[in-house]
Amino acid sequence: MTVDQLINWLPFGTDWPVITFLTAVIICALPVFLFIAVYALVAIYGEVKISSFMADKVGPMGQGVGLHAGKWGLLQPVADALKLILKEDIIPSAADKKLFVMAPFVVFIGAFISFAALPFSQNTIIADMNIGIFYILAVGSLSVIGIILAGWSSNNKWSLYGGMRSVAQIVSYEIPAGLSIISIIMLTGTLSMQGINEFQQGTIWGILPNWIIFNNPFSFIAFFIFFISGVAECNRTPFDIPEAESELVAGAFTEYSGMRYAFFFLSEYAEMFVVSGVSVTAFLGGWNSPISGFFNSPGWGVFWFMGKTLSLVFVMIWFRWTFPRLRVDQLMSICWKVFLPFSLLNIFGVGIWILIAG
Amino acid sequence: MSKYFSNIFEAVSTLLTGMGITWRHMMNIRKDNVTLQYPEERWPRPERDIGFDFDNYNVIRSRLQVDIDDCIGCMKCERACPVQCIKIITTKSGAKGEDLPDINHTGVTSNGTKKALIVSRFDIDMTECCYCNLCTYPCPEECIYMTGGPNSHKHPIDYEFSQYDRNELIYKFAKDVDEEKLSKYFPRKKEAKA
Repeated sequence: MTVDQLINWLPFGTDWPVITFLTAVIICALPVFLFIAVYALVAIYGEVKISSFMADKVGPMGQGVGLHAGKWGLLQPVADALKLILKEDIIPSAADKKLFVMAPFVVFIGAFISFAALPFSQNTIIADMNIGIFYILAVGSLSVIGIILAGWSSNNKWSLYGGMRSVAQIVSYEIPAGLSIISIIMLTGTLSMQGINEFQQGTIWGILPNWIIFNNPFSFIAFFIFFISGVAECNRTPFDIPEAESELVAGAFTEYSGMRYAFFFLSEYAEMFVVSGVSVTAFLGGWNSPISGFFNSPGWGVFWFMGKTLSLVFVMIWFRWTFPRLRVDQLMSICWKVFLPFSLLNIFGVGIWILIAG
Repeated sequence: MSKYFSNIFEAVSTLLTGMGITWRHMMNIRKDNVTLQYPEERWPRPERDIGFDFDNYNVIRSRLQVDIDDCIGCMKCERACPVQCIKIITTKSGAKGEDLPDINHTGVTSNGTKKALIVSRFDIDMTECCYCNLCTYPCPEECIYMTGGPNSHKHPIDYEFSQYDRNELIYKFAKDVDEEKLSKYFPRKKEAKA
């Protein structure tokens, strides 16, 4: 189901193209928003539980009488969300009010509209654009603007530091991420997300699924470069120097409270999902089943896509609770001295691979 | 150049080692869990060993306890209390040393003293108590004492007094004496005078 099919199906026809377009867009956007909200609750619950387990604790639990967080603390994310919604929305008097109010939504929009091109299954994609992966990389960078807006408009030196660090980081890490995607595009010959997925059907030598990560050694490295760059673009630990709670209070988000802070939170988790989804689509076969030819219907496609994506989200959480934060110079040296040369090498390697094997 | 690659190799291997450690901890959470769900689960109480014979020294003052059946209502403890956290109300008993099963009143203490008063209220506000132990010395029947001291054989040591409501820290020791019943059996002469 794409937005184009929906436009053709709607009864308004071509008489009112604007109304038809808006209706189709809203019909597509509402489930995505609900999905993000529900997924964020699940991810927050997973995050608190996994982090506790890794530290030999049990996390939120509810037992006995009184107001507790439900069985195994299942109500904890709901309580967190309720708290954030009910909290006072403080706007500092010295802040640049317009930009301050705008910033969280700009960040959220960047993560939100990326969902338009994520292929959940063979026929569940909102817009199967012929430039799908390029679109996601492009709108994913929108969040940079939101974060620097938040940092600047807060009129607070720590927020500004956080915003500037974040921009330096995201802009830097977009280069290795983009270059690793280029090696994928060279293999598949298409920018469309569904096209990339269809390329990965079948098997290699009848055993391995024909996923791009197993296609050649260069794309194997490219996956790790892309995924780690994606973690850096999400501002997740160990690349969370823009937030860096021990250095910068909360970085660009210091002055935010209540609902606006919740939106930053929501967009962080949504961005995790987008980065994992793109990694899955581009390298891990998207909605293709790991056993080629079995469970390959559209229904199972959603299962495989969500399963792979949520495992990558789990890996991000795993990263966060294992690794210490990088220093700014270490962060930059990894990006420019390691990832960039390797991703350039990957492009050459994949080119030679196509020349020989293809 | 070789240092560059050895650096990368070292980084990858150490990161994988770290991830392995957290993975192991996550998987063994049932065994390694250190959290206690406090009000429902408690650590076992450690064996008492304070380093010397505690029968002679009342060093552990964990809370005040009153054996209300032994209390004769002399109010010496109330007078001794420096912070006035003990409140006692007594009524004169009709017959000295007589059991009154209607209000669960015991006539004779364990020391053999015949009681002349019915204690209808014996409240200790532990939020105000300063744990000075001064109330226990004047007691002629030794019925008020700090748990954990020489009287610990009467009452097990207890050191967790957390309550959900502050009012629950006001310990009420008196038997539930109904005012109506009391006045029916022993009409108060004081009130009549007033």
